[in-house]
Amino acid sequence: MAIKSLGEYNFPSRSAAENYGDDQLVSVWFQDTLWFAAPVMFRAPRAMTWAEFKDQLFVPFAEEDPDYDPAAGRTWTLHGKPFEPQDGQSLADLGVRHKDVIGTRVAA
Amino acid sequence: MTLAPEKKSKKTKKLSMKARYEALTRGLDWEPSYVAKDEMFPHLDYEGIKIHDWAAWEDPFRLTIDSYCKYQAEKDKRLYAVLDGFAQGQGHLSLTDASYLNAMKVFIQGVTPLEYGAHRHFAYLARHFAGPGPRFAALCQSIDEIRHMQTEIHTLSNYNKYYSGMHNWPENFDRVWYLSVPKSFFEDALSCGPFEFLIAVGFSFEYLLTNLLFVPFMSGASFNGDLPTMTFGFSAQSDESRHMTLGLEAIKFLLEQDEANVEIVQGWIDKWFWRSYRVTALVAQMLDYMLPRKVMSWKESFELYFEEQMLGGLFEDLAFYGIKPPRHVEDAIKEKELLSHQVYWTLYQFSFAAGFTTTAPTDEHLDWLSQAYPDTFDKYYRPLWEKEKKNIENGGRHFARGLPQLCQVCQVPMLFTEPGEPSVLAQHESEFEGEIYHTCSNGCQWIFDREPEKYRQAWLPVHQILQGNCGGPTVPDVLEWYGLQDGDAGEYIGSRDHKNWVAWQGEAAADTAAPTEKAGA
Repeated sequence: MAIKSLGEYNFPSRSAAENYGDDQLVSVWFQDTLWFAAPVMFRAPRAMTWAEFKDQLFVPFAEEDPDYDPAAGRTWTLHGKPFEPQDGQSLADLGVRHKDVIGTRVAA
Repeated sequence: MTLAPEKKSKKTKKLSMKARYEALTRGLDWEPSYVAKDEMFPHLDYEGIKIHDWAAWEDPFRLTIDSYCKYQAEKDKRLYAVLDGFAQGQGHLSLTDASYLNAMKVFIQGVTPLEYGAHRHFAYLARHFAGPGPRFAALCQSIDEIRHMQTEIHTLSNYNKYYSGMHNWPENFDRVWYLSVPKSFFEDALSCGPFEFLIAVGFSFEYLLTNLLFVPFMSGASFNGDLPTMTFGFSAQSDESRHMTLGLEAIKFLLEQDEANVEIVQGWIDKWFWRSYRVTALVAQMLDYMLPRKVMSWKESFELYFEEQMLGGLFEDLAFYGIKPPRHVEDAIKEKELLSHQVYWTLYQFSFAAGFTTTAPTDEHLDWLSQAYPDTFDKYYRPLWEKEKKNIENGGRHFARGLPQLCQVCQVPMLFTEPGEPSVLAQHESEFEGEIYHTCSNGCQWIFDREPEKYRQAWLPVHQILQGNCGGPTVPDVLEWYGLQDGDAGEYIGSRDHKNWVAWQGEAAADTAAPTEKAGA
């Protein structure tokens, strides 16, 4: 449904990718715990490798949970499907887009 | 020349209330002759609403400006007498606890600015409606709203002398993350046309949900020794009931004017019910967690003020016009067992960046919650608080080390769960012109997909912080930009308010104890 308006109504997104330079917004959604009340959002370079993403952004956030086990294997999902990121791949290589949400849980 | 004394029979008769009202409102209206009527009222067509007879608007109150002012002045006198007495008698010391004021901090930061917004837009309606009846009603409401803003400021300013979190609320409202929830809600309404605003605020906010929004704060005040806020509540109550009556008159007027209006109005009810309902999330946590002495649970409040009064009463009447209960209302009903717990758990872990403090519920409080929410609390939320208790014993305190993903529409962190699945956080994704947008619920996604051009512009606090527009990249940078000071945010136990409270209560106890000891000596 088009917006009903007195004049032309077309304004840009305030969160568009170009506002973040070489970086993008990426959220991580903990699917097996309610300890974190909502998914966490990071700003991460598109060229950042998966290993860097985990070590520099994911782990420091996740280890605030007293039950966080760094040794536990984790499964990951992207766009609702399981995916198996490799440490050396960049976020861009992995197909992680601006504002994408990466799901995670401890592997069964 | 002598002037004969005026004969008694010539004395002007006093007009009846009804005739005075007619003379002072409708009698002052005129037909424009220099310009066409649609040039004088240029905003009435574009929303698609058709009005055939503006005179059909029934004003149930027949107020005139002089009677309005007289009545309001009397109420103000009573309120300000209470405020003075409370300030002089150090009344703040008889609150149940300083932590009670966290509820009032949320109120002045998040609700008071909405009164000002309502004042602005009702003034706009008072200019733009083509009938004198609704124009005058909108004018009175516009004056009410600015009075409410002023009286709320005066009511709470006494606390601002002694407690944190209330010193910078207008700037907080424009900048702080959780306040973007009420702010974006109201700006959404302010940027609507006159008829949509009437349904958004006049009907959905002021009628459908007003008791849910307003009564909990005022009852909370009365239960917790906050005489000024309670008195303010009484002072505003007669205005609120007038606003409710006008909201109902407005919707009936639109529905009776043209059959084609029904579908448009239904769409607005669907949208604005959900928008308003999401704002009540802040009230839900206040009732169940922030009040030291509880009034009723959110669930009970929702059942009484919404399910019984609105779904059971109002919507049965509106069915006559072909109006159905709001879309997604079933999702709201399913959420009543979860909402307050999810929201407070979020505020608890993000209060390091808020204009209020939070603390973990005591065992007694946890038992009250278990009793009030027998089907959900022990299963989903008590384990989190028990885990947090151990965490605190081990020297931790759960503060998230990052920023939450936000809903593009309501701007609440994505903390809600899928209907019927209390352990599955909801993630809804829409795509518009190549960019993806996330929403927290079926309701918010439906609203986004209906008008994506509107919501893609959202100023989302987390996205803006990460873009570097909020003072800098670190938490202290952002807090400084928010205009928050030491003592405003964080954990309540050990906070400035808490330490002062304990010290002042000790002094007060010593003062009262001293004469007794002497008498006994």
